[in-house]
Amino acid sequence: MQHTKQNSLTAFFEPRSVAIIGASATPGKAGYEAIRNVQANGYAGKIYPVNPKGGEILGLPVTSSISALPAGVDLAVIILPAEATPKALRECTARGIRHAALMAGGFAEVDEAGAKLQEELMTVIRETGVRVLGPNISGHTSTPHGYTSAFFPLGKIRRGNVSVIAQTGNFATHTMRSITTGEHFGVCRVIGLGNKVDIDETEALEYLADDPETKAIVIYLESFKRPKRFLEVAREVTRRKPIVMLKSGSTEAGKQAAVAHTAAMASEDRLVDGLLRQAGIVRIWEYSHLVLALKALSMLPLPKGNRVSFLAPSGAMLVTYTDFCARLGLEVPAVGPETVARLQEISPPYIRMRNPVDIWASANVRGVEFAYREGMEAVLKDANIDAVVPVMMLTRQIGQPSFEFILDLAKKYPGKPVLVSFSGDKDCAEECKAYLEPRGVPTFLEIEQAFEALSILVRCRKAMDRPR
Amino acid sequence: MNPLDEALGKGQSALNEYQAKQVLAGFGVPTCREALARDPEQAVAEAARIGFPVVLKAAGATLLHKTEVGGVALNLKSPAEVKEQASRLLKIPGCETLLVQEMIQGDRELVCGLTRDAQFGPCVMFGLGGVLTEVLGDTVFRVAPLTLADAAEMMGEIRGVKFLGPFRGQQPADKAALAKILVALGAIALQHEAIRAIDLNPVKIRPDGSLVAVDALISLSSTVAAKR
Repeated sequence: MQHTKQNSLTAFFEPRSVAIIGASATPGKAGYEAIRNVQANGYAGKIYPVNPKGGEILGLPVTSSISALPAGVDLAVIILPAEATPKALRECTARGIRHAALMAGGFAEVDEAGAKLQEELMTVIRETGVRVLGPNISGHTSTPHGYTSAFFPLGKIRRGNVSVIAQTGNFATHTMRSITTGEHFGVCRVIGLGNKVDIDETEALEYLADDPETKAIVIYLESFKRPKRFLEVAREVTRRKPIVMLKSGSTEAGKQAAVAHTAAMASEDRLVDGLLRQAGIVRIWEYSHLVLALKALSMLPLPKGNRVSFLAPSGAMLVTYTDFCARLGLEVPAVGPETVARLQEISPPYIRMRNPVDIWASANVRGVEFAYREGMEAVLKDANIDAVVPVMMLTRQIGQPSFEFILDLAKKYPGKPVLVSFSGDKDCAEECKAYLEPRGVPTFLEIEQAFEALSILVRCRKAMDRPR
Repeated sequence: MNPLDEALGKGQSALNEYQAKQVLAGFGVPTCREALARDPEQAVAEAARIGFPVVLKAAGATLLHKTEVGGVALNLKSPAEVKEQASRLLKIPGCETLLVQEMIQGDRELVCGLTRDAQFGPCVMFGLGGVLTEVLGDTVFRVAPLTLADAAEMMGEIRGVKFLGPFRGQQPADKAALAKILVALGAIALQHEAIRAIDLNPVKIRPDGSLVAVDALISLSSTVAAKR
């Protein structure tokens, strides 16, 4: 029996029923936290905890064996040691389960014995056609369906429109935790790949490409399973949905001696770089930029181009961040004469106003709110500007402005990303973040991050519009 | 028999420069005018036919990096110079024959190449050529097959992109022709599995912007060759 690929993966993200093999009644254990996570996310389908001890876990009756499960459960989440996983997978297929997420580590990534267990998994997959995520994953998530298989205590995961493919457990564990606790954006699907015995990055990407809930895709990858096929798929997807990738392991170590110069130059990373550019994928290099990319793609439109205006209360910042923009491929162009005239109007005459905007004097004389509101609007209006970064000067002494004007401006100019950053009292910045972000305007506590986030969006735009 | 089949038949691990250029020219890659010569007298005759000044190179199946063994004589302006250099080159170990080439003007050198990766398949390289290839490593790659747009993007990605523009009174490089070379390299590799790597180094940019490959190397995969 062969499902189409799309249907086949859909059950992972919209399961009507889930069996948790290896459920536990002990708080802190993976088999317990997995159930708590599903419940915390408001999953509306049926949950069948399976444990030979029976009884009840978190209010759910426990089924004592896989064979005792009702027939045709959509998805099995197998949270058993590696040694027990192949057998459990086979038993699941015998109960008509066609999809399984395998959590255990200890397969080919560890030793010979593990490699043998992985072979056993592949035999079950080959013989039964069961679709498998993992093994060696820490879960997958689907917020539109209120579902997660993650076993790391996460609580409610906010819903968003950007999905993640990760060849690491971090996105179902502590990285997700930093997002849920430190940020205000949500995620759509999160797909842990693990050892990729069945579903690989290409198939995951194909699913997300056709997923109406997914607007953009962020990928962390350590190795390609089918690079040529991945390229074929990705180069079409990036014309509709931005893809950002952190590809790790990018050193010259893989370089081999060869007769031809071309072969000697062809370290794996140079090939990867070429492939990603060819595919229109925006490559990032820092782990923290994964979260930055998620934030930017979740909360902002793609700018039309790379022309940025920023407002800062310091000449040093104007110079430094203009240089920084140049390094990031962002242009800080001159603004039109009307814009210059308006900027000059809001400022004392002893400051020469232009882009970037020196807002210090205006903020001091006319007040922080007036200066930033009028200054931001002037540059947002300008046809030469694609995005605006206000570096807000906030301190208790000079008085906190109402931040509503930032929301109003972002709404009034919906095609132009507004990325807010700060200089001044840390707690004022935190307050501003807490006000703006739940209302849809992203803030960045480090000024550099605002520009880095913008540059990711600019690169996504360029990739999307690239010539065929 | 075409040079590729001939080389494979003989179990060669690479095509010599002359053979390589024949294969490449068949795919539309612009190559310099050249002729083989067995001895100094024939070299002089070919030089006269091509027109002075000429370049004289030692050629042989095992002579992959000729410059390193002094196997290249540039800018020979007279029959006497050709004769003298021909005699010298023929004494280099591995030198089987001589290659007489037109001397191409222009001091901008590019590299176009191809390598076959176990996972990625044939990959095309572009960058700064000549000695700069090794010194700067200013090269970029694409996975074959390439579109013309892929090739155009590669040109924009090297750090030395200014080399391709107007340069010290010389015309900008013919980017359309360059794109065709890069696309052709991918196509050659997809068509001929036995080709393991190709180096066109240098591809010279003439003062009028036109391009010509003045050196070429095609290395072959012994395993694929053995199967034939």
